[in-house]
Parts: sequence; C-alpha cells; structure tokens
Amino acid sequence: MNNLAFGQYYHTNSVIHRMDPRTKILSSLLFMIGLFIIPKNNFLFMGIFALFMVITILLTKVPLKKFLKSIKFVTYLLLFSFVFQVLFNSEGELLLTINHNLTLVNVGICLVVLICLFLLRKKIPLFFILFLVVLVLGVKFLEYPVYGNVLLNYDIKVYTGGVITGAFVISRVLILIISSAVLTLTTKPTDLNNGLEALLKPFGKKTSILAMMISIALRFIPTLFLETEKILKAQASRGVDFNEGKLKDKIGQIVSLLVPMFIISFKRAADLADAMEARGYVPGEKRTKLVKMNFTLKDVIYLLSIILIITIVIIYRVI
Amino acid sequence: MKIEFRNVTFYYKKSEVVLDNLSFTIEDGTMTAIIGHNGSGKSTIAKLIIGLLEPVSGEIYLNDELLTIDNLDEMRAKMGIIFQNPDNQFVGSTVKDDIAFGLENRLIEREEMIRRIEKYSRLVNMEEYLEKNPENLSGGQKQRVAIAGVLAMESDLIIFDESTSMLDPKGTKEINKTIKSLKNMNNGKTIISITHELEEALYADRILVLNGGKIVLDGSPSDVLPKKDILEASGLKVIDGLSLIEDLKKIDFESKDVILEAIWESIFTM
Ligand SMILES: Nc1ncnc2c1ncn2[C@@H]1O[C@H](COP(=O)(O)OP(=O)(O)OP(=O)(O)O)[C@@H](O)[C@H]1O
Ligand SMILES: [Mg+2]
Repeated sequence: MNNLAFGQYYHTNSVIHRMDPRTKILSSLLFMIGLFIIPKNNFLFMGIFALFMVITILLTKVPLKKFLKSIKFVTYLLLFSFVFQVLFNSEGELLLTINHNLTLVNVGICLVVLICLFLLRKKIPLFFILFLVVLVLGVKFLEYPVYGNVLLNYDIKVYTGGVITGAFVISRVLILIISSAVLTLTTKPTDLNNGLEALLKPFGKKTSILAMMISIALRFIPTLFLETEKILKAQASRGVDFNEGKLKDKIGQIVSLLVPMFIISFKRAADLADAMEARGYVPGEKRTKLVKMNFTLKDVIYLLSIILIITIVIIYRVI
Repeated sequence: MKIEFRNVTFYYKKSEVVLDNLSFTIEDGTMTAIIGHNGSGKSTIAKLIIGLLEPVSGEIYLNDELLTIDNLDEMRAKMGIIFQNPDNQFVGSTVKDDIAFGLENRLIEREEMIRRIEKYSRLVNMEEYLEKNPENLSGGQKQRVAIAGVLAMESDLIIFDESTSMLDPKGTKEINKTIKSLKNMNNGKTIISITHELEEALYADRILVLNGGKIVLDGSPSDVLPKKDILEASGLKVIDGLSLIEDLKKIDFESKDVILEAIWESIFTM
C-alpha cells in the first residue's frame, strides 16, 4: 500500500535533504513557473529543465522508482493528449498519410484483440508498452481491406507540427510531475511547515495556520491510505470484489468504502484537534522552534542556478 | 494539582445526560483511577478537566481556582493528557519533533527544549528513536512518545485516557509499566488513569467507578474491588484473581496488605 502514498518523505542523508526547506519550496515553485514560460516547442530549454531535474534527482539519493511512481496515474492521459495533437494539429509539413479501409473483418479483428488485451491486462507485465505496440500495429493493419466490402475509407494526415507539439506537451507534463515529488520526498512535513511559515510570514500573521494545515495533511496521507487498505481488506474478506461486478454493484462498493473513510477521517481530525489544543497549540500564535533553519552556500548555489535558467528563458522570450 | 468537581452536569444532547450532578475531589499528588463501561462518560470527565469541554452546569476548581475561559490557557500549561488512539495525537514527523510540539507552543527556548527532549525520551526508554518517524513505531512506542511529550511540559497533572485500550498485550504492559514507574517516582505529580480494565486500576491510590452519570463506588482498590455486584452492575468485567482477594480479606492477619499487594502485582504483570 506504501506504493500508493507516492511522494511521501523518504529518509536518507543527501545534499538536497539537508537543504533549507525555504530553498526547496521556492525553487520548486520557480521551477514549475519556469516550465510554463518555456516558448512553445523549444526543446533546448525543455532539455535544460530536464537536465536540471535529473541532476537534482541524482543528488537526492532517493531511488528513481519513487519519482517515477506518480507517472503511472497519468500515462493514459499523456497518451490521449499526444494522439489528440497528432490527429488534429495540422501545422508544419505533412509527415505521412494513413489511408484506412475499414471492413467488417479488420475492424472486428482489432476490436477483439483490444478487448482480449484489456481482459488480460492484469496478467501481462509491461502492459502499457504492449498496448502501444498493438495500437501502432492496429493503425497500420486498418489500411488493408481484409475480406469483404470496404465500408468506410478515409485519410489520416499526420503533420510534423502535431508530433512536435505532442512531444513537447508530454515532456512538460512528465517533468512537472516527476519534479513535483522532489520537495515532499526530501522534506519532512515538520520542516515543510517551518519553511512555509517563514515564507508566508510577510503575508500576515494567520498564514502560519495554513502552513500547519498543509503539513498536517501531508502527515496524515499515509495513515489514511493505511486505513483505506484496512477497510478494503475487511470488505474483501466479506466477499466484496472491487474489480468485478456491474456498475450498480461498483457504486455500492465505492459508497461502502467512502462512508467509513469519511467517518474515520472526521474522528481522526477531531481527536487530533483535541490533542493539539491540549498540548497548548493556539492557531496563529507565536511559537518557538526546535529546528533552526539555516540558509547556506548550497542553498545559494541551488537557488541561483534555477533563477539563472529562468532569467535566460525570460530574456529569450522578450527579445 | 487538586481537582474539584462541584455539581457538574454535562450532556452533548439534552435527552442523554452524560454526567449527572457530579461532585468529587482529587487530592494533589495522588493517583486516581476512573473506571466505567464504554460510554459511561470517562473521556468526558477528562475533557472537562483539560478544558476541551465546558460543563453545562456546575463548576470545576483546579488548585481551588475556578476554571474559566480566561485562565484556561494558564491552567492547561499545568496539565497533560494522553489519549486512546496513538495515531491521532502525534503532530511531528520525527519523535523529536513531536515531543517538541508542546514545548514550541509554550515558547520554551531551544536549548531547554533539547535538554528536556533528551531527559524525557530517556525516561520512557525512547531515546534511541528520536530521529524515527512515529508512523513506523509500534502502538506501545507511539504512546510512550506521547507520554514523553506530556512529561516534557513538566505539568503537574497527567491524565491517561484509555491509553492502552488500542494496544496489544506487549504494548499494554509497556505503558502500564511506565505509568507505574511514574507513580513510584513520587514526584508530586497527580495522575488520573481512565480505563475500563479493572487490572489497570489496581495500583491507584483511589478508584472512582462511574455508572449512569454518577459515581457509584469511591475508595481504595481494596475497598472497591471486592464489591463485585456493584462492579458487575456497572458493566465491568470482574477479574478472576479478585475472588481470591475477597477470600483473603476475610482472614485477618497483619501481613494481609503485603499479600494483597503481591497478588495485585501478579495479576498486573500476568
Ligand atoms: N462529541 C460527541 N457528541 C455527541 N455525543 C457524544 C460525543 N462524545 C461522546 N458522546 C456520548 O457521550 C457519552 C459518553 O462518552 P465518553 O466518550 O465520555 O465515554 P467513555 O466512558 O470515555 O467511553 P469509552 O470507554 O468508549 O471511551 C457516550 O454515550 C457517547 O456516545
Ligand atoms: Mg473514552
């Protein structure tokens, strides 16, 4: 179940771990902003951002697996946005034309293969890659009018602009998702709280409450996942199968998961609020800090390098 | 800390009175066990003392001073509570940070914090875990961290609200041992131990049995525990060893108390 709680603090001792939480919060923010001001289809800048991200990841000493986990949730979204660009973007030169001749047989074969593939998806390792291969083969296969009358004939025109923009969009989202894990993987919720609080201070006294809320939320994510797992197991032992069944059954199952989850979360929140109050926490009041944040040379270097990259992008855009 | 309830009535819903015109006094420096079945209002008493709830009617005096909104914060600084669910009471992402949480709220200086964290983590035998994430500790260890967090505030009153009820037998033993050693330290701290297990009340100076919003029994363990019928009527599970204690009570010889103590000890460490 730990694999669900992606982006949760990973304990090890690296330069990035030791860095001031304020540096990490600021640089994450700047990095993301930077990612969105890269001029369209500029792969040089995208490459620089990717390089910066790879260097950071290597410095964290956190297993690469931890960063890649979050991609799993967006693979189909990425595929969809790529296909969308390829199909509908007609900028640039014509790259290739695919002439589809649909007959009952070739469409039928494609459908059967797809259905089989999805039914077996849990038993196939690297399913996504196989799915991509089958998709490409299928698109090619539909060009041949196998047996019988051609029911429909049309052209798909692929332009260079579509492929390039598709690749650009995908790499931007990939970099965004992977790099967003850096902050939470390398910063303890308490440190994150201290960092956020310090950064938000100029915006008012009450902002420390927001910082506390964020760090408490982060601290409770793994606990709630554990709780979900427990409920799932309890219900599985009573014969509830979350993967099978009709839509109506499924909705019932999801409700039977959500209701206890809500009740438990509220109970937890109430208990925690009591515990915090009993220990003298008054929202928005001044507190002393056990951990001293210190901004050192490595922070300066890291922050300056990201500011430098962004400055270059901005200058490039302006001229 | 001396605690006095004067005619305290409390309910969440008017139709279900939880505490019914309750009056009792807990003397400074003693250990009192409050026992009662599920839903008998034990946690409610704890929350009233710590000021998380306000009586519907009646007054609560702490050290002979009326507890009000105005002195709540100041009073709270002298009290600490350990709750039932170990997962719902830690805030910090390391044991050290968590013990520090209360100290940070009380504006304790950093050097003093470090000193106290060291001292009290050692007291509960958690000094090796200071850098660990509380998430990954056993239930008993989590509760010990919570105890260290309360002790670090150097408060006069410590309330344990069913702090063992969610633990396995090993964790329960660890916590009971810690509570007992706290009592034996004789450092003038007032301890209130809330439980629905009679075993855990055995080593208190005094036991209050709660039923139907009232105190139905009040006295030392050797007075209270033999009153099986009242205990059973209050929905409490009477333990086997107690019948032996009852038999022993009939015999009148000098070392009776020593033997009683020994039997309680053996029941407790079983
Ligand atoms: N927040 C609340 N809102 C409404 N009713 C409540 C609330 N908290 C407790 N109660 C009710 O008040 C009564 C006393 O609750 P309390 O938690 O004090 O019991 P307890 O003796 O601590 O029980 P347990 O052994 O289960 O911890 C119960 O009937 C309970 O259902
Ligand atoms: Mg309770």
